[in-house]
Amino acid sequence: MRAPALLGVGLVWVYRLTFGALFPTTCKYHPSCSEYAVQALHRHGLVKGSVLAGWRLLRCNPWSRGGFDPIR
Amino acid sequence: MILYAIPIISQLETVMKHVLHWFHFNVGLTWAWSIVAITVCVRMLLVPLTIRQIHSMQNLQKFAPQMKEIQKKYKSDRQKQNEELMKFYRENNINPAASCLPMLFQLPVFIALYYTLKHYHFPPGADLSWLHFIHDISVGTTAQWGGYVLLVVYVASQMASSFFMMTTVDKTQRIIFMVMPLFFVFIIARFPAGLVLYWVTTNLWTVGQGLVTRRLVARAPAPTVERRSSRTPPKDDGSGGNGASPESPPPPSPAPSSTSQQRPRQVRRKKKRTSRR
Repeated sequence: MRAPALLGVGLVWVYRLTFGALFPTTCKYHPSCSEYAVQALHRHGLVKGSVLAGWRLLRCNPWSRGGFDPIR
Repeated sequence: MILYAIPIISQLETVMKHVLHWFHFNVGLTWAWSIVAITVCVRMLLVPLTIRQIHSMQNLQKFAPQMKEIQKKYKSDRQKQNEELMKFYRENNINPAASCLPMLFQLPVFIALYYTLKHYHFPPGADLSWLHFIHDISVGTTAQWGGYVLLVVYVASQMASSFFMMTTVDKTQRIIFMVMPLFFVFIIARFPAGLVLYWVTTNLWTVGQGLVTRRLVARAPAPTVERRSSRTPPKDDGSGGNGASPESPPPPSPAPSSTSQQRPRQVRRKKKRTSRR
């Protein structure tokens, strides 16, 4: 994994350890949004990975159906 | 902190500062109450999202026994268990109550409030409202006696809100969520009192929402009875009589003479029924 993607993963972990831990809500998708973000950054790098993670977050709204949604 | 390097956050901070000032100087609330007002405003903006969540929560309760079965089946494999549960959701068109986006809406507000309270010192409020025990919102929670009260309320409200918002049926996961606030107390005790106040308010809102949801679940069958009675009046003799009686008062007005072809028939039927009874 390249350095920019690593930075992204670091940010996800910052979220997980702070806000994510303090406001515990379970995600409607599997893998969860943060896990999805980490996988996306691993596989597609910072730019595409962030876009994918962002799109996933937008999909994780009360109107979507949720469910099993792995990274391709 | 790293986050402060992001330019939007400093702008959010100034916005938050202005909003707090507006509530304090223009509306005339104490600083503590201003934070409560901001929280209520944020949660009110999220109401359309939460209504949807309430509906999906009601749906989820119906499928609880089947979901428990799936969990028993894949007890050893957590990954598989989650996958199967999500597949089950999809097959039965279930929309799980929790979702990340509404929670993330609160993130910028929370961060902005954090930095605002850290960078600006709001003078201690001197007016005697019942939130007076939080004398200074920008001071650490444990620096004032009211902070300890706030922490106790935090633990209780966090436990209650996670009780209402939990989507998992898994027992260990439930226990973890319930015990978590006991550990977080030590972390958030260092935070400014105002931030904890925001937290407590948002938790209490969630609890209130959960209570309303439970009542709605109990009241859910009521509207369906009314619908049946209006659609099929001749079939629902027993239940339709009750449903139609509150509707009958408006028609008796004698003014519409030409359109009253169907109404007299209904009225005659009702009279017969009541006489039989």
